[in-house]
Amino acid sequence: MAIIVNLDVMMAKRKMSLNELSEKVNLTLSNVSILKTGKAKAIRFSTLEAICNALDCQPGDILEYVEER
Amino acid sequence: MKTQQVLNILKVASWVIFFGLCIKPGAMLISTFVSLFINPLGARDLYLGLDLHEIYEFNKFHYAVLIGLMVTIELTKAYLFFWVVKTISKLNATLPFSLDMYNMISKMSKISLQIAITAIITSIYSQYLYYKMLHFKPIDTETEYLYLAGILYVIALIFKKGIELQSENELTI
Repeated sequence: MAIIVNLDVMMAKRKMSLNELSEKVNLTLSNVSILKTGKAKAIRFSTLEAICNALDCQPGDILEYVEER
Repeated sequence: MKTQQVLNILKVASWVIFFGLCIKPGAMLISTFVSLFINPLGARDLYLGLDLHEIYEFNKFHYAVLIGLMVTIELTKAYLFFWVVKTISKLNATLPFSLDMYNMISKMSKISLQIAITAIITSIYSQYLYYKMLHFKPIDTETEYLYLAGILYVIALIFKKGIELQSENELTI
């Protein structure tokens, strides 16, 4: 997929574990894991808002577009 | 809760229909055996008034072939209902769209098509016997199974699309 999720980078910067993040954004651990591993097909704005709020970052810090060749 | 109750009722009804459909071919096979090897009068009432004694007297080979085709249709109908029972048993009302469901509905569509083709062959054969004998009533074609095959095929396609949408929804965080 052309959209890359850099959630692990931001989590490392904020020194936050997967468990902590899942509790803060009110998502299950498996869903956060799906997002982190890049298996997600789509993300809701409400989820993106909650993650940005929890990690104190911008959507661009978590999502990156890489052109597919 | 209501959905589950309806599914349970459907499951029980499907099992009853399945057993009912198994009785007819069994009874016809026994009657045919009796008429061919024990008592020719058996051809006058093979199952619930089915009278093929005219064909029996005309030609035993044609008689056996026609009965064979009719029994094949009934057995395939029972097989179709076996798959109906299996499909209803596996149906998950919370997440209905699965590859298993798609495969089972596709299989039922193919079985319905088989029934329709066998019924058409039986009808053509009985028409041929009518023209040969001139006083035998041809057997009606069961074309409704052809429509059922088409409808089940469309439902299978809808389930296929449903699987795509469901998996996309599951992977939407």
